[in-house]
Amino acid sequence: MRIMRVEKTLVSTSRIDAFGHRPLLVVQEKAGGTRSVAVDSVGCVPGDWVICVSSSAARDAAGARDFPSDLTIVGIIDRWDPEAP
Amino acid sequence: MDVWRVVDELVCTRRLPGLGQASLRVLRGQRGETMVATDPVGVPPGKWVFTCVGTAARLAMPDPNTYTDLTICGIIEGWDES
Repeated sequence: MRIMRVEKTLVSTSRIDAFGHRPLLVVQEKAGGTRSVAVDSVGCVPGDWVICVSSSAARDAAGARDFPSDLTIVGIIDRWDPEAP
Repeated sequence: MDVWRVVDELVCTRRLPGLGQASLRVLRGQRGETMVATDPVGVPPGKWVFTCVGTAARLAMPDPNTYTDLTICGIIEGWDES
């Protein structure tokens, strides 16, 4: 699982039916790093540090075994210091 | 299976029910990368461990339905860091 920071919500109106109305978020591993899109099953707000799961767990965590997600947020970290060594 | 060093425990109160009460650990890889793994072993910080990824990570948990993609499978004794 990867530690990532929620940057903002992602707006995508034209999407495949399988995604339904699931909220999508833009997440970043570190400031200025590559942005990824994750399915939000927890209910995060921008600025939250979260753990994102991939693989088959991402599909299950997104709500169904056939949900086409490869990155899903499964939890919000209570306290995280990105500067810690 | 990859080799990591356990850096710290990770507290995550708000989590999906599918993650259960699984213990979480912050791992540092051999190239300095940071990852989070579920820990069915009970590893203290500082130890070297090996992990499995993907669906194998779920099978390595006591409950194979746990939402994880990285699970600690064992503590390595006498790992040579170099």
